[in-house]
Amino acid sequence: MSRDEGAVIAAERDVQVDHAEGTVEVKRLGIGFWLSIAWIVLIITLAILAPWLPLKDPDQNFVDIQGKGRPPYSPSGDHWLGTDQDARDMFSRIIFGARVSLVVGFSAVAFGFVVGGTIGLIGGFVKGVFDKLTSFVMLVLLSFPALILAILITSLMERSLFTIALTLGILSIAPVSRLARSASLVFAEREFVTAARAMGAKPSHIMIRELLPNVLIPMSALALLGTAVAIVAEGGLAFLGLSVEKGSTWGKLILIGSDSRTLENAPWVSFGPVVALFLTVMALNYAGDRLRDYFDVRELAL
Amino acid sequence: MRYWLQRLAMVILLLLAVSLITFAAMNVLGDPLFNILGPIAGDTENPENLAKIRAAEAQYYLDRPFPERYVRWLGDFVRGDFGVRFSSDGQPPVTDLINERLPRSLLLMVMAQAIAVAIAIPWGIGAAARSNQLPDKVSTVMSFMLVSLPGFALALVLKYVFAIRLGWFPLAYNAGNPWAERVHAFVLPALTLALPAAAVYQRLLRTDLITTLQEDFILMARAKGVKRRAVLFRHALRPSMFSVITVFGINAGALIGGALIVETIFEIPGLGRAIVEAILREDFPVVLAIVMIVATAFVVLNFLVDLLYTVLDPRVRT
Repeated sequence: MSRDEGAVIAAERDVQVDHAEGTVEVKRLGIGFWLSIAWIVLIITLAILAPWLPLKDPDQNFVDIQGKGRPPYSPSGDHWLGTDQDARDMFSRIIFGARVSLVVGFSAVAFGFVVGGTIGLIGGFVKGVFDKLTSFVMLVLLSFPALILAILITSLMERSLFTIALTLGILSIAPVSRLARSASLVFAEREFVTAARAMGAKPSHIMIRELLPNVLIPMSALALLGTAVAIVAEGGLAFLGLSVEKGSTWGKLILIGSDSRTLENAPWVSFGPVVALFLTVMALNYAGDRLRDYFDVRELAL
Repeated sequence: MRYWLQRLAMVILLLLAVSLITFAAMNVLGDPLFNILGPIAGDTENPENLAKIRAAEAQYYLDRPFPERYVRWLGDFVRGDFGVRFSSDGQPPVTDLINERLPRSLLLMVMAQAIAVAIAIPWGIGAAARSNQLPDKVSTVMSFMLVSLPGFALALVLKYVFAIRLGWFPLAYNAGNPWAERVHAFVLPALTLALPAAAVYQRLLRTDLITTLQEDFILMARAKGVKRRAVLFRHALRPSMFSVITVFGINAGALIGGALIVETIFEIPGLGRAIVEAILREDFPVVLAIVMIVATAFVVLNFLVDLLYTVLDPRVRT
């Protein structure tokens, strides 16, 4: 984890203290976890099905000067979440915006996991020079302030969906690799690895068949947290004018309504997507947190 | 001692790596000549323009090989000279720009940290004093929500409520205003940075306090008849501050450059604004200087926190 995320995680450590007092509790994921998952599934489904749902066209201008005057129009039965300055329907814009935001979030994490996870897994298993070298590279990556690194990359490249996802993916390599490495270090000492070695298994076989499944479990929690971080980071880039150029994301929707005048006259323009973003990030964070407690990841990670 | 020398060497090595990567990225991917001369930069046919290009190259050392330029830049940087800007006249020097912007970002960081601590200590103590009762559970939910609310969203909420609806704070920062008004304009952005930090700090404090409150000397103090409140503030608080101090230090480093978006929303011309503008104009010397300042602050503060930790808690010493 990067340092500031580490702080959040450290903050959650108290759960163990509470448990240490006595009774052994049966671990449960709890209702909040399933509510979070339900929300995430709902958003993903809406995002995937958006073109086939009976939604208003997100790019159509529903100007109605005679009836309602100048846009933006406030929320009504016609436009559930109101419209923006160009009289575009916010509800359908938020759903369509979810498509880009979620794709960026998930693919960034997927990229970080494939690259960082592989490096960390190998590093923790083979140790030696490779481990020292990659660990140093990860340290260098972590000492760049993350957002500045993202700005640096995005400002020097064309800003397509692919490059934004790639940039955020690069940022997630270091924290993912750290966790994978520490998990791999722990499991590499376990009996089943020694047994596999004694039976003459090749290192590649041990890594893929023995270590990987074990390392993947704690990483699943990190994947959810990482997606949340990536979605937020995209929003941050949007505020600096460095997000995806074509198509709208949640970050860009919020930005459109964020100037002082619009905020004063039509707060729904930015607060609609803010709420969608907030609920999604909170759901991802909460689900990730519960999973981490459930699998007791911190004993390896910290 | 040897351990610390190794750590120090690591810090220096890290900063060298960061500077080399940034320097290389800026040089390989960008086109500094264009920023200095404008459209004529690519025009090598016209002898008059060619002469200008050659002159600019000589002036900004662009005709020298890459390693030489890096070493020259590094030598100047270490001596506190951040070079000239990539603009038609190279003015004002990067050092002047930094001198103007850095104090604002530092003030923002200091205010944010002060507010965060002022909120976190009573909050953490309150939560620990009633741990696992209703107020504590409410506080857990609140801190979770604060940590999940992205900075820019929190900034918009605060701006809407306190600046637009209530009108307690100005909408934007104005560098020409007198001192007190400028600090006043800093309150909302500082609060934006402080609230999530406070949520994290109070959580850490609460955890450590709960552990401390089970120690024998607390029982002893209570048995002597010391008031509950006095036990919490005088006896339990101090030994429970280790984790908070660590994260506080790390956060201080992160906040110096991490206030980018908040500075943008509240229109504060600090370091964060400066680097965004510089990147968009491809003004590489400015970008380099700010990346290095932020990375140095971050790495050095982490180092100092480790150092402080061993001083405060002898058990950590190796």
